[in-house]
Amino acid sequence: MPLKALLMAGALALMGLALAQEGVDPREEAKRQKQLLLETAGILPTELIVEQGKDLFNRKGPSGKTMAECDFGLGKGVLEGAAARLPRYFLDTGKVEDLDSRIITCMTRVQGFKPAQVKRSEVVAVAFYIASHSTGKPIQVRLLFPEERALYALGEKLFYARSGARDVGCATCHVTYVGKRAGVLPYADVLGKDKSWTHWPAYRYSNDQIWTMQDRIRACYGNIAHPQPDLYSLPILALELFLAYSNNGAVVEEWPAFVR
Amino acid sequence: MKKALLTLLALSLLAWGLAQRYLQDPELERVKSGGKAYAEVFVSQRPDQALCSIHRNRLPADLLPKFLEEQRSLIKYPQNGKLMGDWKKGGAIFNNLQKANCFSCHFGSPVHLGGDVGPSLEKYGLKRGQSEAVQRYTYEVIYNAWAYFPCTVMYRFGAQGLLTPEEIADIVAYLLDPESDFNTKPAVGSK
Repeated sequence: MPLKALLMAGALALMGLALAQEGVDPREEAKRQKQLLLETAGILPTELIVEQGKDLFNRKGPSGKTMAECDFGLGKGVLEGAAARLPRYFLDTGKVEDLDSRIITCMTRVQGFKPAQVKRSEVVAVAFYIASHSTGKPIQVRLLFPEERALYALGEKLFYARSGARDVGCATCHVTYVGKRAGVLPYADVLGKDKSWTHWPAYRYSNDQIWTMQDRIRACYGNIAHPQPDLYSLPILALELFLAYSNNGAVVEEWPAFVR
Repeated sequence: MKKALLTLLALSLLAWGLAQRYLQDPELERVKSGGKAYAEVFVSQRPDQALCSIHRNRLPADLLPKFLEEQRSLIKYPQNGKLMGDWKKGGAIFNNLQKANCFSCHFGSPVHLGGDVGPSLEKYGLKRGQSEAVQRYTYEVIYNAWAYFPCTVMYRFGAQGLLTPEEIADIVAYLLDPESDFNTKPAVGSK
């Protein structure tokens, strides 16, 4: 725990710095902040969360099994490159699952936890750990099963939808106004060159949060005052499958990532 | 024969109705797993929003005249007929993130650094004057941007009930009145 306290202090100090910085390239700035944090705290928050996730992964559930008994898509206990191939359809559940929802399937169906016992913070920590085994791997999601195709099509539609009292939608900014700025950061080209799918899960140094893509998508909606889809819901999975497929072939620079 | 014709008519009307919708029933069923509030905006998506969604914000030319006419018909004006209200009240609305949030996309505010999603409005009133035509254009674009720029990202403040006609007139005054801070003070970030 003293490690975490030290880290918190470092993160808080950085937040002050981060807020004072504007108008610099966000990627370069993130690299700088990361280096700074590494020098002051000696360890990165991402590494710390990965360690927590590893402990949780190897913790025995009520059934006596660890998460090594679970199949994340490439076979029981195989983590190497598994996250880069999600979301995908799983025959055992008959559903398309992303990293988050597959971790919940593992905890409930294999480890014997009750759904109500599954803590979001634990899901995210395990997601960080599993994702860390896909650094350097290319994104490879497929549209093979009918449910994968149906969700992809829905995700594409949701991405281009205009809805709510503010007529908003993802594409209206992330396609039409890429590189333009409303607020602090320019809009990322999420389908194209920015390969945004590969940026999550990530640690956000600007407010010391750990997020998966599920949290990121919900925040996108929240920022533009649109009602947010519930965690683990189909619209989130649909958008994820659409984004991941659009970024197919992109190599994961580092998972978990370190972002603003 | 008459019955068959009626059935055909009913079917074609149904087909027309479905064609105008963006998400179909099986899709809406899936969207419902996102929760009540999220699903509601798609279940009750307006036909104009559906058109912009279907055409990805670029309406085909043949749809434009009717679309523009419908958007124009949504515009209402202040009770007192004045398109320029109180610029001080307008400034509070313009510069409030929770309210109109104009500065996030438009440059020109003397209070906040503006974005560049929308055109710069720096010294808007000094550059354009305060003629009836300018007042009307400014008011109508804020009330319903889609009446001039179909499917644009700018919120339809009046048409969607985000602001009242009086509040929009206050913003028009904030932009146009030569005495307004917007025209007398330098924009944050101006060179």
